[in-house]
Amino acid sequence: AQESITVNIGSSHPEQNIWVYAMKNTFQPTVDKILAEKGEYQVEWAESYGGTLYKYTDTREAVQDGIVDVGMVGTVWEGSTMPLQNVTYFTPFATADHKMLIEIFDDLNASQPDLVKSWESSNMVPLSSLITDSYDVYATFPVNEMSDLQNRRLNAPGTSANWLQGTGATPVDGALTTYYTNIQTGVTEGTLSFASGILPTRVYEVAPELTRVGVGSMYFGSIAANKDFFDGLPEPVKAAFREAGKATSKAHGDYVSELAEKAMTDMQAAGLKVHDLSDEQKAAWVKGLPDIVQPWIDQTGDAGKAVLSAYFDALRERGATPLRNWDEGR
Amino acid sequence: MTSLEIGFLLIGLLVGLVLFGMHIAYALLGVAFLGIWLIRGSLDLSLRMLELTAYSGISDYLFATIPLFVLMGLLVSVSNVGRDTFEVAEVLLKRVLCGLGVATVAANTVFAAVTGVSIASAAVFTRVAVPEMTRHGYKASFSAGTVAGSSVLGMLIPPSLLLIIYGVLAEVSIGGMFIAGILPGVMLALGFVIMLMALAALAPGFVFTDPEAAKSRRMDVDAGPHLTPGEILLKLVPIVLLIILVLGGLYTGFFTPTEAGGVGAFGALLIAIGRRSLDRRKLWQVMKQTGTVSVSILLLLIAASFYSRMLSIAGLPNAIQTLVVDSGFGHWGFVLLYVAIVFLMGMILDSTSILLIVVPIAAPIAQGLGFDLFHFGIITVLAVEIGLLTPPFGISVFTVHNTLNDPGTSVEAIFLATMPFILVMLLVLGIVIVAPATATLFLR
Amino acid sequence: MSESKIQEPQQAEGEVIPSFAEAPVGFLLGTVTAVLSSVGTLWIGFLMVLIVADVLGRNFFNAPITGVAEIAGHSVVAIVFLQTAAAIMQGRLTRADFLFRRIADLSPRSGAALESLFCLTGTLVFGLIAWASWDKMVAAYVRAEFFGVQGVFTVPTWPFRAIIVGGSIVAALAALYRAFYRNPLPTGQVQ
Ligand code: NA
Ligand code: NA
Repeated sequence: AQESITVNIGSSHPEQNIWVYAMKNTFQPTVDKILAEKGEYQVEWAESYGGTLYKYTDTREAVQDGIVDVGMVGTVWEGSTMPLQNVTYFTPFATADHKMLIEIFDDLNASQPDLVKSWESSNMVPLSSLITDSYDVYATFPVNEMSDLQNRRLNAPGTSANWLQGTGATPVDGALTTYYTNIQTGVTEGTLSFASGILPTRVYEVAPELTRVGVGSMYFGSIAANKDFFDGLPEPVKAAFREAGKATSKAHGDYVSELAEKAMTDMQAAGLKVHDLSDEQKAAWVKGLPDIVQPWIDQTGDAGKAVLSAYFDALRERGATPLRNWDEGR
Repeated sequence: MTSLEIGFLLIGLLVGLVLFGMHIAYALLGVAFLGIWLIRGSLDLSLRMLELTAYSGISDYLFATIPLFVLMGLLVSVSNVGRDTFEVAEVLLKRVLCGLGVATVAANTVFAAVTGVSIASAAVFTRVAVPEMTRHGYKASFSAGTVAGSSVLGMLIPPSLLLIIYGVLAEVSIGGMFIAGILPGVMLALGFVIMLMALAALAPGFVFTDPEAAKSRRMDVDAGPHLTPGEILLKLVPIVLLIILVLGGLYTGFFTPTEAGGVGAFGALLIAIGRRSLDRRKLWQVMKQTGTVSVSILLLLIAASFYSRMLSIAGLPNAIQTLVVDSGFGHWGFVLLYVAIVFLMGMILDSTSILLIVVPIAAPIAQGLGFDLFHFGIITVLAVEIGLLTPPFGISVFTVHNTLNDPGTSVEAIFLATMPFILVMLLVLGIVIVAPATATLFLR
Repeated sequence: MSESKIQEPQQAEGEVIPSFAEAPVGFLLGTVTAVLSSVGTLWIGFLMVLIVADVLGRNFFNAPITGVAEIAGHSVVAIVFLQTAAAIMQGRLTRADFLFRRIADLSPRSGAALESLFCLTGTLVFGLIAWASWDKMVAAYVRAEFFGVQGVFTVPTWPFRAIIVGGSIVAALAALYRAFYRNPLPTGQVQ
């Protein structure tokens, strides 16, 4: 007979969210499918999606403490406890290829010793990497020259505030849910965001000018399992989880591509005008940025240096040419 | 026993404890702790969930607006802005049937445009309107009920804490929610006025201790305060300034809805200082009272959020969603069931907790069934607000009762007096449900 | 109508702290909770000033204050746990006592027993919060955890966690005190 295993799975965001979508629509069914083939084990999913158990500030604690056995962990919100994973946010303009980023982090999380240690000491097993598509400027004005950003107020929450340093623009805190109102009421004049995330917020209605600046894709976090829970699983189930993790990475990448594409079509149909920042202006932006990776290195020390170098090596290995060599001379 | 059965059993336990008078925060926290322990079979997990809720469950910018809106309400109260508004309404509506009741509703409507929490309105007008009404032959319980009933306007007419919370949960523009709330708010106010006048005419025994005294006062030109048009204008200046500051600031973009509480409180402080109604000692008292009032709400929010997490672990939200989807209710069946559930929850839970529990489940279903999310938001907030007035847990009634502090007026009597208000709210809710334009008219 | 009466904000119930000679425990607890609650009260004022400063800075000086949202959010935690104990001491926690009052009227002893039971539940609940939060407080201190963004602004989290632990311990003691010194029994003091 089949042995049944209850798995608590959950997230701070709803199932339609880009980082959660593949958990429900790929991870769970793939595990089910793999296990069904052998017929030894069967998983009972206890789902708590959509923040019914904890909110976005607690995604690490929730998996680490076993509130859920498997969950979406946004390391982006863990600048204090899991800073190493946030290397992409401190090294902007590296790559806009989000599928490459998934591949890199699926690999680094399993092979880079400092990252492996970070997940282990947080009592978690990363299964599949999560990313954003490339960040651009959605605003009430187009950015043709860097001087267009002078004295503008842009929503740039968290680490993305760093990307505006040296541009003359003032970063204003916010979240996907506040951009629309902020811009509509003039609190800000635009925002840094990515297509797949911004579409449902209808920000294009109030900020109809998109300038593609290519700040790049960002590693956002991982779908991870609680380590105590994972270690206690029978070997075939562990293998199924790992296999499903890979399928999830693929599905996540495809879903983000699809969403980003659809977002562009829909937004342009709704009147969004798209501009491209010229290469030389982009270079000026990148050159004007202060050494924003240094505070992160100060915080993370040698481990940070090792992760930074591994990340940039992986980028170049896959043919990416970062606009700034943040790893140089460290 | 399945976790679902445990979940339902624990709801029963909670209702029992609350009915027998246990402090609601203790009951929610205790039952939820027990529930998580039982369902997941781990004491440790229960402890960790408790810690998580106590810390990050409440550390949200949104919740910072609560003490600030309360502070604004109390400052406005101390500087007599509420009383002046009421006095002007009283003078203008002197000849109207049930004039003081109507004046309370009118003043509440205007006051609602500067305050975002109903309990602020309830506290202010309890002190201002109830003594004046009882002095003129209105029943004390009816007066208190009128104040409690009309205080719900504070959360429907923008700015409103509930509209903010709904906007966040359903991911719709908060500015849009504010606009959507205006017309239903006005409808509600008009409904209250018509209901009060009808009651005074048809069931004077429900309204007055001495119907004759009230009638002769209405006919007596000299009764009540006298104000020249100039005085009326002067008395209205502060509230108009505050409305311009809060709503004007919101719509010109100087600040966000979440910041309106802070700016409004500061504006009210300036007005209070300008009117010399505030010395240092009094300011400290007001601030201390702000703390006392808001801590009991915020503590309830922590407790309710812990409780709703327990329900989620029990699988209740999922079960309900499945139930609704499988039942094939369709548009009307769904909305009626939804309103009924919110109404029942409103009896035992506070407004914010209800929103936290139902909106994430219901909003996607509603959208799937073709509801406009702004429209659905107003339906939700109206249904939730009814809970402010329904026993056993009706926070507006409690606030009035607590502020009044009169042993002669029991909680039950106030609950009873708010019943006509609940009926009007149900009527307006029905109109809003069948006519989405009432919410979305000004949106596009 | 007397103006001063309307203007006077209502005094919280039972705010008077008993003298040390009369009731040493009550005096001690009353003083501690009053001090904590005063800090919480000041914090609300700080919150208002912070938001107004951010709004003014952003609109008129092109200088928004970074991290207001997160600082304000964490302030809520501090405000709640600084003031809970005082609210318990003063019997201001929300409750529906319509049935309870009937029971207490019929049988004062049952009412008193029930009240003690309720208050002990409070002691247990806040004891559990303190117990559950202790480890996280120590970890936050040892690992120098912060909120905010490295290089933009950072605020350590341990003081907030310490307020939760400290505030809950005092709240548990206050609830324990109320379990034995039930006077005045809630006579319709809802909320
Ligand atoms: Na309002
Ligand atoms: Na109720």
